[in-house]
Amino acid sequence: MKKLSNKPRARFEDPLSYFSRARTKLYTLWLSAIYPFVSIGRNLSIHYAIKLSRCVAPQIKLGSSVIIWEDVWLYVVPNPGENVKITIDDNCSVGARSTISAKNCIHIEENVIMATSVLIQDHNHAYEDISRSIRDQGVTVGGRIRIETGCWIGQGAAIVCNEGDVVIGRNSVIGANALVTRSCPPYSVIVGNPGRVAKRFDATSGFWVGGDAGRPVLTELVRPQIT
Amino acid sequence: MIHGHHRSRARFEDPVHTVFRCVNKLYSMWLQATYPFASSGRNLSIHVPCELSRRIAHQIKLGNSVLIRKGTWFNIVPGLDRELKIIIDDNCVIGRRNSISAKNSIHIERNVILSNSVLIHDHAHAFEDITLPISAQGVTPGGRIRIEEGCWIGNGSSIICNAGELVIGRNSVVGAEAVITKSVPPYSVVVGNPGRVVKHFDLTKQVWVDGPARSMGTELPRQVCGKTCPTRSPQCAAHRQGAEGHSAVYFNTQETTNG
Repeated sequence: MKKLSNKPRARFEDPLSYFSRARTKLYTLWLSAIYPFVSIGRNLSIHYAIKLSRCVAPQIKLGSSVIIWEDVWLYVVPNPGENVKITIDDNCSVGARSTISAKNCIHIEENVIMATSVLIQDHNHAYEDISRSIRDQGVTVGGRIRIETGCWIGQGAAIVCNEGDVVIGRNSVIGANALVTRSCPPYSVIVGNPGRVAKRFDATSGFWVGGDAGRPVLTELVRPQIT
Repeated sequence: MIHGHHRSRARFEDPVHTVFRCVNKLYSMWLQATYPFASSGRNLSIHVPCELSRRIAHQIKLGNSVLIRKGTWFNIVPGLDRELKIIIDDNCVIGRRNSISAKNSIHIERNVILSNSVLIHDHAHAFEDITLPISAQGVTPGGRIRIEEGCWIGNGSSIICNAGELVIGRNSVVGAEAVITKSVPPYSVVVGNPGRVVKHFDLTKQVWVDGPARSMGTELPRQVCGKTCPTRSPQCAAHRQGAEGHSAVYFNTQETTNG
């Protein structure tokens, strides 16, 4: 499989970039050595610096060849229950400035690529009590999120699960700035806020249907929900 | 190779984090000591780096226990007046990479949580003159923004006020990626682009109901009156009926929309 990091090189790289690459390498080694992850694969690249507390590392599992770009925030809400709350499988790439916040379970399967500023969150703030400020009300029970193999999450997209399961089907595309609060079928393109299926792969005809000729065939997928 | 032996719970935090925390603490103290803020409360925490210029600090007021995470950008459009432009009250949390740009006034009241990547602008670029590039046309006169206490603004949402006053009512929720350009009534949930109310709290039945309040339609009401109820309590009957001196913007607006 083609690795994301093996780009063709110019004859020599800007020498200044060696400093940041060395820093990333050292940072990755430091995290692998010091942080008590559930498991951590080989050939990882975690760019300096991500926001990750050592206390939540025992609930995070990272696969091989994962790239995590700088400024990513991995957060686990203190909550008894499952041991592994965030799983990132082999060959995933988590874009810069993304936020992954888990209360129950967030599973990102193999070969998923995420653009920058993505939000993946399986819980929400509770707001039902009007006599207290939302800040003091804690978080909701939340659900579980699974992003299946080979998906691509666009820039600024938000995947939020308030309750139940949200599954982003295999090889699906989430468009830039889309908001997804419900599951979506495999091989589909989701755009908009709230997210709708703009295109999907028709297995019988073998073509991608909908969304051509400038007039997308939109299917209501997500009822507007709070996030 | 999988490191399977790190199964024990973390007994201590990463020592490098202590360095970061010290840097943040020192940075907060440095800002409080050297920047001429209009006023700044106790127990402030401003993370490095924040884009906050010393030149604009005299128009910014920060309350007690405010937390401002890193990458947040504060901007004040240069003007002749010297009045307060950005007010952040006690216990507010400003997430990462927020962009707060004021021309007239942005007031964030107590206990508001802003998530990451939120944009709050009370002005916009003017674009009406087609002979000039937009960069040379300056900004619009803009309006005023007030976010009332206890609100929660979701990840990546934008709150933009081009004219008049934009008020996000008490304890309201703005969903992720929402775009808000008009006022939001108190105790409601707004999502989408353009933002619309999908849930509100029915004060008579005391329950959360789907959809916007009946008299308001799907569009968010435009602010017509700047007065607010002094008690700001949902149980205040005068407030609900929009009586004199209690004319909360939302209730007045309902009457105008109905009429």
